[in-house]
Amino acid sequence: MQSEELIVTEGGLEMDTMFVNMGPQHPSTHGVLRLGLTLAGEVITKAFPDIGYLHRGTEKLMETRSYHQCVVLTDRWDYCSAMTNNLAFCLSAERLFGTQVPPRAQALRVVMCELNRIASHLILLGTYGIDIGALTPFLYTFREREMILDLYEKCCGARLTYNYIRLGGVAADIDSGWVAKCREFLEFFKPRLDEYDTLLSFNPIFLARTKDIGIISKETAVAWGLSGPNLRGSGVSYDVRKSEPYCGYEQYDFEVPLGASGSCWDRYFCRVQEMRQSVRIVEQALAELPTGELMAKGVPKIPKPPAGEAYAHVEAPRGDLGIFLVSDGGAAPYRLHVRAPCFINLAILQEILVGKKVADVIAVLGSFDIVLGEVDR
Amino acid sequence: MIGYFKTVFLSTWAFIEGLWITLRYLFKPAVTVQYPTEKLVPYDAFRGALLFDPATCIACSLCAKACPSACIALASQTHPETKKRVPKPEWYTLDLGKCNFCGLCQEACPTKPKSVWHSLDYEYSFSSRDEMVRCWKPGFPLAGRVWDPRRKEFRDLESHIPVREVEARK
Repeated sequence: MQSEELIVTEGGLEMDTMFVNMGPQHPSTHGVLRLGLTLAGEVITKAFPDIGYLHRGTEKLMETRSYHQCVVLTDRWDYCSAMTNNLAFCLSAERLFGTQVPPRAQALRVVMCELNRIASHLILLGTYGIDIGALTPFLYTFREREMILDLYEKCCGARLTYNYIRLGGVAADIDSGWVAKCREFLEFFKPRLDEYDTLLSFNPIFLARTKDIGIISKETAVAWGLSGPNLRGSGVSYDVRKSEPYCGYEQYDFEVPLGASGSCWDRYFCRVQEMRQSVRIVEQALAELPTGELMAKGVPKIPKPPAGEAYAHVEAPRGDLGIFLVSDGGAAPYRLHVRAPCFINLAILQEILVGKKVADVIAVLGSFDIVLGEVDR
Repeated sequence: MIGYFKTVFLSTWAFIEGLWITLRYLFKPAVTVQYPTEKLVPYDAFRGALLFDPATCIACSLCAKACPSACIALASQTHPETKKRVPKPEWYTLDLGKCNFCGLCQEACPTKPKSVWHSLDYEYSFSSRDEMVRCWKPGFPLAGRVWDPRRKEFRDLESHIPVREVEARK
């Protein structure tokens, strides 16, 4: 803490503005984010997010690794939803290679990614409650998340960094036992969503902390390039699964939930409703699971794509995750760029935090659901 | 005034509703596992600490090439008279500090049974960087040994629990 200007008046020492560092060691910044806040009393006059504490240079690291090895590194961006990272990279690389993915692999990708969306949103539900001051929902959401991680462990062997979706397909098959276990989970999970609504979503204390706080208008949200539930919370209907379907999302029946006013609560509730839609998608995908191959034929051990470039984007739990891949014909990508949704969603903080009280910073920051592993990469 | 009492009533009601949910779970069995005394056994596919079998390895170094973080190193034996390469490993090291637990080495291994594979062991711990590097030479156990720089010799792993004997969860 350092004061920028001190004014001595008759009443004593008064601080005009004050600079406060929030983070990087703050429990509610979800990782290592530093927020530099300039305060006038309790009101924020200037805010800037300072990032880079978790930078590992994965984009550069991938330039020296083969395409199969790159998938392992993608797990480490958004570690709460590693499946969608795998998928985004593989879609982009498959576009480069011109690989056709078999239908069973497509359906499995959808099942895994939607389960991952539920798991990722459950983290937000739990931790956002903790940020606001409600500890109990966290215990319930992590119980359900554990079941999803169990499903992943049974199928692909890992609980967090899956390396499951591979170039040309998926790594492991699911059996009837897995499907039964997954259905059991979905049946268990559906009534739990109503419990979360009772515990957190419609709790008057939670509503008072989040409703009418951090309102983002449609125009502002689009201007800052928000995506995912943060954009849909403001009422803009944009979902990559609808606008540019991949992996056969066009054959599943689901809605895109929208928020009304763009407040913290709308962004939060968008995610709750998205989980209901994800459950629907998983049920449909499991009902009509095609049989057949898991991997496309002819994917070499060390793939060398033709020179060129490809872009593919997917609807990650946190927004529109895009991978731009440039190849010069070698075994490793020439350049890889990640359009990380968290990184872009974070930038709007400097506009909407101005004029808010310090106590609202956590409510606003938490509602964006950032993962610093993806912000810094 | 009415608004004030309405807020008080609604908050209290939400409080009771939340507590009612908690109360219902009070009489159900606990989902938590008391870790040191109770232990979960992972599923078959689980990717735990890597094990290596020097007896089946053919020193093809496909695993070393497949590894994204270059944590595997090995050298093949040479025939003492002809000085030709023999398909047997002379030494094999694995840096678990660098390991990604991605399973690519296991997939790349051509031998049957696999000479490098992910065990179900999730209870490995290290007290120094030297312990992270596990080394295998012909005759070493599957879990390997670590180099002790002070005593200048290989020593067995301390408190290593071989989960390999435990049957996986189905």
